[in-house]
Amino acid sequence: MVDAVTYDVVQITLLSLYVSGSATILGSLIGVPLGAAVGLKEFGGKGLLKTITYTMYGFPPVISGLFIYYIFSRAGPLGDFGILFTPTAMILAQTLLVIPLVAGVTITSVSEVDKNIKNTVLSLGASDRQATFTVIKEAWVGVITAVMIGFGRAIAEVGAAYMVGGNIEGKTRILTTSIMLETRMGHFGYAIGLGVVLLIVACGVFLFMRWLQERELL
Amino acid sequence: MVAGERAAVSEILRTEGLTKEYAKKIAVSDVSMSVSEGDIVGIMGPSGSGKSTLFRLINLLERPTRGKIVFDGNEISTSSPDVHLIRRKMALVLQKPSAMNRNVFNNVAFGLQLRQVEKGETERRVSDYLERLGLTESRERNARSLSGGEMQRMCFARSVIVEPKLLLLDEFTANLDPQNISILEKAVRDFVNQGGRAAVVITHNPFQAKRLCNRAALMMNGGIVEEGETLRIFNNPTDERTKAFVSGEMVF
Amino acid sequence: MKDKSPLVGIIVLAIVMILLMGSVAIQPGRQRLTLATTTSAYDSGLLEKILPNFESKYDCIVDVIAVGSGQTMEIGKNGDADVLLVHSPASEKQFVKDGYGTSRTLVAYNQFVIVGPESDPAGVSQAVNATDAFKRIYQNGTEGNAIFVSRGDLSGTHTKEKSIWVKAGLNVSTFSNTWYLSTGQGMGAVLDITEQQTNKGYTLSDEATYYTRRETGIIPHLEILNQGDPLLYNQYSVIPVNPDRWPSVNATLATDFVNWITSPEIQNMIGNFTDAYGHKLFVPNAGPGSVAETHTLSSQFQAVIAIRTD
Repeated sequence: MVDAVTYDVVQITLLSLYVSGSATILGSLIGVPLGAAVGLKEFGGKGLLKTITYTMYGFPPVISGLFIYYIFSRAGPLGDFGILFTPTAMILAQTLLVIPLVAGVTITSVSEVDKNIKNTVLSLGASDRQATFTVIKEAWVGVITAVMIGFGRAIAEVGAAYMVGGNIEGKTRILTTSIMLETRMGHFGYAIGLGVVLLIVACGVFLFMRWLQERELL
Repeated sequence: MVAGERAAVSEILRTEGLTKEYAKKIAVSDVSMSVSEGDIVGIMGPSGSGKSTLFRLINLLERPTRGKIVFDGNEISTSSPDVHLIRRKMALVLQKPSAMNRNVFNNVAFGLQLRQVEKGETERRVSDYLERLGLTESRERNARSLSGGEMQRMCFARSVIVEPKLLLLDEFTANLDPQNISILEKAVRDFVNQGGRAAVVITHNPFQAKRLCNRAALMMNGGIVEEGETLRIFNNPTDERTKAFVSGEMVF
Repeated sequence: MKDKSPLVGIIVLAIVMILLMGSVAIQPGRQRLTLATTTSAYDSGLLEKILPNFESKYDCIVDVIAVGSGQTMEIGKNGDADVLLVHSPASEKQFVKDGYGTSRTLVAYNQFVIVGPESDPAGVSQAVNATDAFKRIYQNGTEGNAIFVSRGDLSGTHTKEKSIWVKAGLNVSTFSNTWYLSTGQGMGAVLDITEQQTNKGYTLSDEATYYTRRETGIIPHLEILNQGDPLLYNQYSVIPVNPDRWPSVNATLATDFVNWITSPEIQNMIGNFTDAYGHKLFVPNAGPGSVAETHTLSSQFQAVIAIRTD
């Protein structure tokens, strides 16, 4: 089977890891505290906020891509930064998809922590911030799960990455957009092969995180 | 029990007209009480009589509708700056033990770690309490794997290791077997006898009140019905309801 | 024994990310030209063959974005690309007329073909031209003997298809979806769907995509039944995005691109280009008079471009 277009599989794999990894980290830095705050506080509209968060699990990646496109297009408000069709735009689009997922799973994990722990910790003299951190630590396994789920969503998505990245060879081509390209050109075997590579990579990441967890480093 | 009678011993806690009203219910109604150094005060009453809410008010976890709290000579309230520092001088132990997802040592050490006590000192103090409460062998175990009694002993150690001035115990031996109850009651007595501190114990068990507390109060519908020295309350109750309670006629 | 801090794990991950970032960093320095084109143009492999010539001649890097025709034009309208290579003449003319593009220059054409089953129930292979072929498909479609699969996505192919229906005097909006399938998909997918309409499926396709799928065994039952009608020519043109509208575009490099792709050397390369199976796909037709439309540039850019064409 001969390809009409060629590219370096190693390079696109590293780029995939970079883009989706960054989106996961950024999305978690925002999503975990957000989720913890919502999970721990009682306030009017909490139920509504939770429903909205869970609904966003199903937010179509292409729409996230369109949204980022409109903002960073030359015709858009932040066009002058020249971010469109670069990995940065892809990271931003994927971050939008990661945030609700991480926040939602964190809300659930944090809510399941025994209510009394927070009160106990407070009564032992922790400040509100210290108490929140302690509860997050109690829910840590759930939080790490949230991050892993976020990564899964990012590494597998293609709609946003294609839209704002442009699948430019050597610059914004990642595993998922390559799979789309190969499928479009009818190279189904290659497409599946790339899919297998993606799964292996994702597996590797999760194994690495488990390894860190077992050594109590995470 | 008038403040004047105990002028020589310092007053740890005083509440004046403490009240907490919710939309549909008055949880705590005009509670005035005084706890002095060395006291172990028992608070008894049916469930829903406001005992736990009273603790939450004292521990500044909730804001009272009316009333005043004076702790260790200073008026305190939920709007005081650094409420958590005030709480550091109190300890609250609940009926259901809640273990943090770490080993026993780190659970007990938590309060000390919060206060950034030096490592060697932490080690010393934690080991001491683990020994006193028979938990030395479980040091490294994850606290969640402990039995009910062990966990409660651990929670007790966790609360008192930070040497609070006021110990608030909310039915803390309610589900335990006699041996555990005995260990914990002794620990309370030892704790208070070290001086400069007091304890308030919510209990539904009049026998525990008689064993442990030098003073006792009966609380119903948010208010204090009667209180005084334990022996007097049990032997010479004045109020009808107290009579019914101590005679065992009142069914909770 | 204290619990180890989860901070260590986080720091490890941070280091890994920083290393990754370094490994995928884009080399700065060289100029970049953003070329937006259609998927069919890109997938044929032509650009991959000829672009290195441009990149070395002008010491730059060409970033190629391949999306559907409609999207390509949108990208151009928003100023997100420097130059477009497209094949939708009607939209292109409007594009330049509206001031989004500087000029429209013919580059080359390839051909559409009408493909269908070997059994050819509609007799398309006997049709005298494309219009006749479509009439026959319509006839047989309404009788239940044929199915036509359409791109349905306003792409160049779709636009061409619609124009043939019009020429045949037929109104697409009256077509029943029992025989006319509007899929909204790319060419490859449409061919796959056509293959699935056993002994009935017809469609309009570009040669390159057809050959690729045929040679790789995905559409073993589809044959080219009719071709050659000039109506089936698929004209590619190059349009630089108007710098008056979007000053940030690389106007000089875009003009260089136009000059380059219409130069005899490159036109020759285009003509000789064969796909992986030996088929020549493109007929270059840039030449004198091939600049089809122009938009008057502001003097600032005219001066710059004048210098470059010396």
